[in-house]
Amino acid sequence: MRILYLDTSSSFLYSALIDNNVLLDEIKEELNQNLSTQALFKIEEMFHKNNILPNSIEKIIVVNGPGSFTGVRIGITIAKTYAWCLNIPVIAISSLEAMAVSSKSKVDFKVPIIDARRNYVYSSIFDSNYNSILKGQYIKLDALKVAVKSLGDNFIFVSNDDFEFPHEKYDPDILKIVKIFSSRECVNPHLLDANYLKLTEAEEKQSDN
Amino acid sequence: MEEVFILAIESSCDETSCAIVKNGKEVISNVVLSQIDIHTNFGGVVPEIASRNHVRNITIVIEECLNKANMKMEDITAIAVTYGPGLIGSLLIGLEAAKTLSFIYNKPLVPVHHIAGHIYANNLEKEMQYPVLALVISGGHTELVYLKEEYSFEVLGGTLDDAVGECYDKVARVIDVGYPGGPIIDKMATLGKPNYKLPLPLNDDSYNFSFSGLKSAVINLAHNEKQRGNSINKEDLSFAFQDVVSNILTKKTQKAIQNLNVKNFVIAGGVAANSGIRKKLQEMCEKEGVEFTFPKIEYCTDNAAMIGAAGYFAYKKGDTSSLDINAKSTVELS
Repeated sequence: MRILYLDTSSSFLYSALIDNNVLLDEIKEELNQNLSTQALFKIEEMFHKNNILPNSIEKIIVVNGPGSFTGVRIGITIAKTYAWCLNIPVIAISSLEAMAVSSKSKVDFKVPIIDARRNYVYSSIFDSNYNSILKGQYIKLDALKVAVKSLGDNFIFVSNDDFEFPHEKYDPDILKIVKIFSSRECVNPHLLDANYLKLTEAEEKQSDN
Repeated sequence: MEEVFILAIESSCDETSCAIVKNGKEVISNVVLSQIDIHTNFGGVVPEIASRNHVRNITIVIEECLNKANMKMEDITAIAVTYGPGLIGSLLIGLEAAKTLSFIYNKPLVPVHHIAGHIYANNLEKEMQYPVLALVISGGHTELVYLKEEYSFEVLGGTLDDAVGECYDKVARVIDVGYPGGPIIDKMATLGKPNYKLPLPLNDDSYNFSFSGLKSAVINLAHNEKQRGNSINKEDLSFAFQDVVSNILTKKTQKAIQNLNVKNFVIAGGVAANSGIRKKLQEMCEKEGVEFTFPKIEYCTDNAAMIGAAGYFAYKKGDTSSLDINAKSTVELS
């Protein structure tokens, strides 16, 4: 089974080619504003380098958010177009799941955290079996801090963003992520959508009224 | 060249569209999914909502387009896509989808300027005869463009402030006749009489336009009438407004026709559907002995068929791109 992994939900491009549980190649590169121009360009390079044809991919695992709205859309658009073209299964996982699974810390609880600005974060709390005991949400940082208190010292924050408190730097263990999630239920490519965890401002204002 | 089938994608604003066009002139299929119902609730297009809906719609629209044409991706020669100008988040969805198709099927990727698309909507009507003069009039654009030869663009002038369509919408709001303003005012103008006088905006020697002053003049006129205790005759005001708009558009177009070698004059964009403006331009073209072409209504507003028509000529010229092309919210036509 040949799998393409794709995560453009942050300022980084994380992508990999996995063949029968072997990591053939991967990209972990901070692209910031260039994500839209470079993502598919770099992926094409990775395919060429490894002499792999686009139509030999048999499954896609894509991160559907939360994170940068534009970033998430880039990955989702590529993944759904790709899966629809080749009629292959596509699996969506959350960026928070990918972060929790990649943590190397020897604690029971992993708390991935993504800066959503204005003192808000996207976060979730996962136990040692990667079940979320606090489901992924858009939450005030202070509220999250209260929530993790009950975990004592037995937890670690995982993040790519700058926070003043201690946290493990997120470095995706793509092979591990793929192994854990590759048997998850597939999504119809037409229905594959981003999971923003947040309404647009226009919708928020409308529901306030 | 043999038969060239361009699959085109357009997502620059709130329409997700995909089309297949043969040899730049024959529409095989054209699917447009509009989000207008969603955005009407917010009183205008909300960019983030538009982007989110493009993601939901994009593969459905491409599939329907291929199904309607009874074609497969393998039958397609090249993939054309609007790269700008437009809403950046919206453009990116069509662009990423087009890049992915180009990557998977190893087909050339042809980036198309949105305005080039509007102009080439005319080629779906009748093959354009060069040199061509194009007047692009829509909610976002007012431009006079000269095409000396196939797929070469020289922007002669454009609006310095509001676009024509924008001005129609604002005036419609002032006289309270509803949205979208263009078709409503167009219809009311046919019933109006020349009772009000409005200034001819930016009546100079340039090829530029300005409509914000005209908008203010309409507001002032309405305001003054109200102060005097008179009610506005909306039909007469529509007549006066449409009269000066079509006069200035015709005047500057006529000047370009007289100064340049023009064989074929074309109009494009949503406001090209306006009957009053069209009529005046047509009369002028007859007088000047220039062929006048305008697109079908469905190809006046945003659609992928026009991108497919322009894309054919871009492809013929060798205007293809690698996968690192960016979407651009503003970009000159050149």
